[in-house]
Amino acid sequence: MAAADSHSSALRRRDLCSRAIRLAGKMRADVVDLLDTYVERQGLDASASVAAVEGVPLAAVERWDEQTSTQRLLENLAAYRAFRALLAQMLEEQREQLGEADAGLGRALAAVLLQVSAFTYHLEELLRLESRGIPGEEEEEEEEDGPPPPPRLSIFEQKLRGLGVLRELAQWAVRSARDLRQLAKPSAASGTAPGLAESP
Amino acid sequence: DSHIQYERVGADVTMKCGSMDWDAAVTWTANGTDIDESHLNGSYLILKNVDLSQSGQYSCYEGSSWHLKYQTYLRVGMPPKEPVLMCRSNNYPKGFYCSWHLPTPTYIPNSFNISVIHGTKDMVCEKDAVPKNRCHIRYLQLFSTVKYKVTLTVTNALGKNSTTLTFDEFAIVKPDPPESVVAKPVPNNPRRLEVSWQNPSSWPDPESFPLKFFLRYRPLILDQWQHVELSDGTSHTITDAYAGKEYIIQVAAKDNDIGTWSDWSVAVHATPWTEEPKHLTTEAQITETTSASTSSFMAPPTTKICDKGAVVGSGAVAVCWTAGLVVAAYSVLFI
Repeated sequence: MAAADSHSSALRRRDLCSRAIRLAGKMRADVVDLLDTYVERQGLDASASVAAVEGVPLAAVERWDEQTSTQRLLENLAAYRAFRALLAQMLEEQREQLGEADAGLGRALAAVLLQVSAFTYHLEELLRLESRGIPGEEEEEEEEDGPPPPPRLSIFEQKLRGLGVLRELAQWAVRSARDLRQLAKPSAASGTAPGLAESP
Repeated sequence: DSHIQYERVGADVTMKCGSMDWDAAVTWTANGTDIDESHLNGSYLILKNVDLSQSGQYSCYEGSSWHLKYQTYLRVGMPPKEPVLMCRSNNYPKGFYCSWHLPTPTYIPNSFNISVIHGTKDMVCEKDAVPKNRCHIRYLQLFSTVKYKVTLTVTNALGKNSTTLTFDEFAIVKPDPPESVVAKPVPNNPRRLEVSWQNPSSWPDPESFPLKFFLRYRPLILDQWQHVELSDGTSHTITDAYAGKEYIIQVAAKDNDIGTWSDWSVAVHATPWTEEPKHLTTEAQITETTSASTSSFMAPPTTKICDKGAVVGSGAVAVCWTAGLVVAAYSVLFI
């Protein structure tokens, strides 16, 4: 019975991984397209350098190949939950700034938000299969109880932050696909840190 | 007293004979050959508008004693022009390499210094033993949006020049071409070719960083390529080949998500399977039509009159005896 459960778990895991990988690929393609649209509609310079903004999860990671499956899932989950909130905020700001004048941008943002939500669901399911507790989002809010909320950004600052959000999301989508492929490897099932295969 | 002296092409060069006075009697040689006095101003050697052929060993001897008073090796060359720098990751995500060269030679020794900065962090680019004009870096961070800035400075005795490249991690990813490309005909299929290949051996982890492929093929007699993009797998069956025509086939690779396409692989040639010509069994079977394909490049149906075994004669006058009968019959009609 235990063997059957384990086998079914492995199949479910593989299925979730492959669907999530496909979703990550689609998400990245859509975010890259959205970046072009966003830059144009918001009147920004595509090559503008945006400093790391508080609250935007950075995809950059050191010793990526040494991470365990659980670390990968937890970091991805934290990131996409943050993106879900950030994209919802961007959508709201975009509606306030442009209203119905740019419904296309609003729709594109909403579509990406939907994909981010779907991806978050896949990550939560994979964590359940890892028999790990899923960190509640309420915990993250409690940790932020201390400091006062940051001052409201100017419209230009909002646009720049939006650019930063989309750029990091595009990076995360690439990273997530790789993370999931690592997860999908047989050696990853035990939660160990699979190293990179040595090149011949 | 011997040393090396570097001078620019086109420069005027004055060489002093060590500590000898201007009016001392001296003899100058270039690579052991006496230099004519017309090039001397007192004991100074004057070389105007020097060119590359004037590089060599210059020696100055005291007039009567022939004591060597001064020796120098003159190297005529040029200051470096802006170097050409290229950086690429063909082994992502392990790292990347940068390689460089000068667009025109300087004819004198050059030294290269390369600096790599990622954000505010200095990184060390380790020089390769072979080739000499190349260095490599291991990625310390992956998936970063912070750009890399690589500055190459080339210096020689006559000047210096530099160039800078700025790029992000994803932009320079370019795999090596696929390896071991093989194309084979498919038995009993005159329009098919089976093509297979392998991931480039330099790509360290194709499982986590899969490659996609681009295959192009054309018959040798045409200039236009057919293209197929393949998102997975390392084989493909061409199903629309022109029967009997030799094909040239190449494959390129790219990371599934980032970077650019590799160069094309080494080209392979293959011809689809063709049916063997059928043999005649009786004299009454004068003609036999073969038709194996609907391709517009298919040779017209062949009308076989001769069986191999029914040829009389040899070389240019070999004549099938059945054909001979037919010709003879026609000849009789026209006499």
